[in-house]
Amino acid sequence: VRCPLRGVPRAAWICALVAILNAASWSIVTPPFQSPDETDHFAYVKQLAETGELPSSSSEQVSSEEVGVLVGLNALRVRLQPQVHTIASRSEQDALRKNLALASLGATPGSPAAGVAASQPPLYYALETIPYELARGSSELGRLQLMRLMSALFAGLTAMFVFLFVRETLPGVRWAWTVAGLAVALAPLLGFMSGSVNPDSLLFAISAAIFYTLARAFRRGLDWRTAAALGALTALGLLTKVNFLGLLPGVLLGLALLSVRAARSRGRAAYRLLALGVGVALSPVAVYVLSNLLAGHHTLGIVSSAAQHMHRSLLDEASYIWQLYLPRLPGMVGDFPGISTTRQLWFNGYVGLYGWLDTPFPAWAQTVALVPAAALVALCGRALVQGRALLRARAVELVVYAAMALGLMLLIGADSYAAFPATDAEYAQARYLLPLLALLGAALALAARGAGRRWGPIVGVLIVVLFVAHDVFSQLQTVARFYG
Amino acid sequence: MRGVKLALLGGLGAVAIALVLTLLGSPMSVARTNKVPGNETTIWTTTHGATYCQGHEVLPAGISAIRIWLDAAAGPRVNVVVSSRGHTIASGSRGSIWIGGSVTVPVKPLARAVDDVTVCAAFRLHDETIVVQGSSTPRSLAAYDGRQALDGRMGVEYLRTGTRSWLSLASEVARRMGLGREPAGTWVVLLALALLAGAIALSSRLLVEELT
Repeated sequence: VRCPLRGVPRAAWICALVAILNAASWSIVTPPFQSPDETDHFAYVKQLAETGELPSSSSEQVSSEEVGVLVGLNALRVRLQPQVHTIASRSEQDALRKNLALASLGATPGSPAAGVAASQPPLYYALETIPYELARGSSELGRLQLMRLMSALFAGLTAMFVFLFVRETLPGVRWAWTVAGLAVALAPLLGFMSGSVNPDSLLFAISAAIFYTLARAFRRGLDWRTAAALGALTALGLLTKVNFLGLLPGVLLGLALLSVRAARSRGRAAYRLLALGVGVALSPVAVYVLSNLLAGHHTLGIVSSAAQHMHRSLLDEASYIWQLYLPRLPGMVGDFPGISTTRQLWFNGYVGLYGWLDTPFPAWAQTVALVPAAALVALCGRALVQGRALLRARAVELVVYAAMALGLMLLIGADSYAAFPATDAEYAQARYLLPLLALLGAALALAARGAGRRWGPIVGVLIVVLFVAHDVFSQLQTVARFYG
Repeated sequence: MRGVKLALLGGLGAVAIALVLTLLGSPMSVARTNKVPGNETTIWTTTHGATYCQGHEVLPAGISAIRIWLDAAAGPRVNVVVSSRGHTIASGSRGSIWIGGSVTVPVKPLARAVDDVTVCAAFRLHDETIVVQGSSTPRSLAAYDGRQALDGRMGVEYLRTGTRSWLSLASEVARRMGLGREPAGTWVVLLALALLAGAIALSSRLLVEELT
């Protein structure tokens, strides 16, 4: 069997390496346990590595070892308090060492409680047990650093698959693939999330791989290998993070439409490909449902708890989800009075919100960022208008990508609505949209092409430099907040 | 293509200049605070809009921001007014969606310090909760909302631009970055810099190869 990575161009490998180096840099810049829910994700890995069992409680009472580290780092005071910095003196470092030594003396295996991570599927955590075990003999902090580097590898996969996705979707201009791959590799939010212990890092890589596989299938046709690959990637996505459920309808729609297209040449045999893809894709769900039934739990386990929030009016929920992303329409009850959700939640959140979402850029920087963003949107729009005939020819493929994006946004909206009004927008975090990085890569490639044949490469270079600047100043902002 | 190389050099040069200018700037430092370490407590919780004021404050000279210890999940717009003998002497506002245990509001610096000022922080709420952090005091000294006294004084910190630049603080910052981690040591900062520089160098080389 031919190795699927043999055909990967050298430029894609370099994009992957750039993403890994960038995420590794972020893994040093971000202090231990100062990224979203890292304490809980670490606890999950500890439980899995030391007991072989999944966490059984979503309580925040993590293991005494981890608590010892958190106390020694003053982590709970630093978190969400931008004016409080990390430990800064030799005596605090000595106290931390003592805490680490004491914690390891009275340690009990595992951590049955893993906070918000407890409800997540186990694939990412199972992979993270490898660095956890490799760092045996090291303290919790040493283990955490090695685990972060594992996440950084997933950033490399993400950048590589974005490069390959753009190569399939925009095959005409070779240099645009590099622009997309490098820009995504240097995206600070990808570096930040992949420089910490968080299943999002694997989810981004799997999502980018699915976008690539779908694009390849739309360009070259569905065969048994592509169908099996799509099914397997979908299964991996379902085993990585619950958020993947948002992409699932779009992926299944893609498989169905590709099968219908394949049926024109292969007849009914094409539907066997659909059965293969869907069968492989949904196998983890089948196992999950079966295990819940055998254990006497609700058929859909924790997913059913989300469904319980559906008792409110569907119209109200639709209105809320609309307003979570877009300006309120006439007739809608305002759920976010005085807030431009598009700009303040999503745009500013993408521009920069690091640490425990407590490290933003100053307001003037968020305003300045609107200028290059508007230029990119205008250039991308120009390219789309110029290529509208091609767009029509690829409408089916675009519908699939739109369905994936829409599904993810609906999931984030529905989850946020479940917590509303106690919390206005619980899950309105830009990182949750990063499974769509492949589409960002394509949009950036289009923006560069939108500048025309003569200026395109120059604009492409400037786009990458813009991402370099964004990344450098994001890391500086993080350094200033935690160590300044 | 020559234009690509020029764009790359010009772009990276501009980033380098911006970086140097940033490092020549100074971080904010606390010029004055009414916080008593170890005595911080929740003095009020509200789900409604309010204007909390407290007197007997001192506004130091050259203050460019005031930090009020309000805790919110996604904070509302906050307006801060500093008044002396009924006249506003400094004011500022901070837009909504701030996160954490305090909100920092930029104000225009005054050339001289002013004693016995009143600091007021006003906001409107919609389905949100604001927790006011501060220190317990007798009612006569406490912050107030109209006629209602809170359970103590709000934490207020007065910030001004420090005298030392980020560049001169670099070794101190690097030393701190080397603490609280494993492997520990200031050398990890050099490693982070090398990783980032490597990423930028590889990107530049690939751009030149593929786009020219």
